[in-house]
Amino acid sequence: MTRKKILGSHVKRLLSGVSDHGKKHLTEVETDLRQTELLLEEAIEKLTDSFMAIHAVVGERQDSINRLLAGATPSAEESAHLGGMSGEIGQHVNSAITSMQFQDMTSQLIDRTLKRVTGLREFLGTLGAHGADILPEAGSEEIVDLLGKVSMALAIQSLELRSVLRKAVNQQHLESGDIELF
Amino acid sequence: MAKTILAVDDSSSLRQMVAFSLKAAGYLVVEAVDGQDGLEKAKQQTVDLVLTDQNMPRMDGLSLIKLLRGLPAYQKVPILMLTTESSDEMKSMGRAAGANGWLVKPFDPQRLIEVVKKVIG
Repeated sequence: MTRKKILGSHVKRLLSGVSDHGKKHLTEVETDLRQTELLLEEAIEKLTDSFMAIHAVVGERQDSINRLLAGATPSAEESAHLGGMSGEIGQHVNSAITSMQFQDMTSQLIDRTLKRVTGLREFLGTLGAHGADILPEAGSEEIVDLLGKVSMALAIQSLELRSVLRKAVNQQHLESGDIELF
Repeated sequence: MAKTILAVDDSSSLRQMVAFSLKAAGYLVVEAVDGQDGLEKAKQQTVDLVLTDQNMPRMDGLSLIKLLRGLPAYQKVPILMLTTESSDEMKSMGRAAGANGWLVKPFDPQRLIEVVKKVIG
């Protein structure tokens, strides 16, 4: 292979490497952000439903509560209705507690995204630093050697970044998770 | 006498919800912010059940479980994982470390109480 072709092949390898690694990481960023968005939307919807339901439970009994406060004796039906209030509210509170756990999951997803973005910035920093090492008068052999080292360094950096960013949150919805006793 | 549960999680909101749910069922709850804090608190007082997250700073859940199982007082104390992790691989690692159960987040308070009652009464 002529020197020109070797140099060209190394440049091509470096550029495709930067493109491939960058795209893979940015695809993960996009996935995590979309998942975060889904969880947030569902959380707000469910929390709104829970609070409205609790409001309705109390509202339905407000007349009876007012009559009690005024000293009236509740009918059997009213007593049963009032007695059931705690249980109904409890169910809606439980539903709200399940939904509020969105904060833990979205926090982990956002943290993973931030770490990846920081890693990508360092990745580009490596590219820039090696670029700065290229002297204007450098010969093609030196440049080929440097390009090879840069490609390798970037591949290692990208792999290391992927290895520390395991996906711990796969939940797409806020339904309560499985329970298994060993 | 009320049974005591050690709840270990780096998310303060999660700890708050676990504590709220379990206290409503009559349990005492001690909170720890990560595995290291959980280990220290477990040594200060022997609890009836440990409920721990997996991914935490300083010390993760699996490491905490292994260390607890090395303590004489915690050979038989039930330990449950409460985590976003749901892979079979992680569950196997949890079981091998000494966990007695695996709960995937988000948890439903009623189901959490049922499991805890089943494990410690």
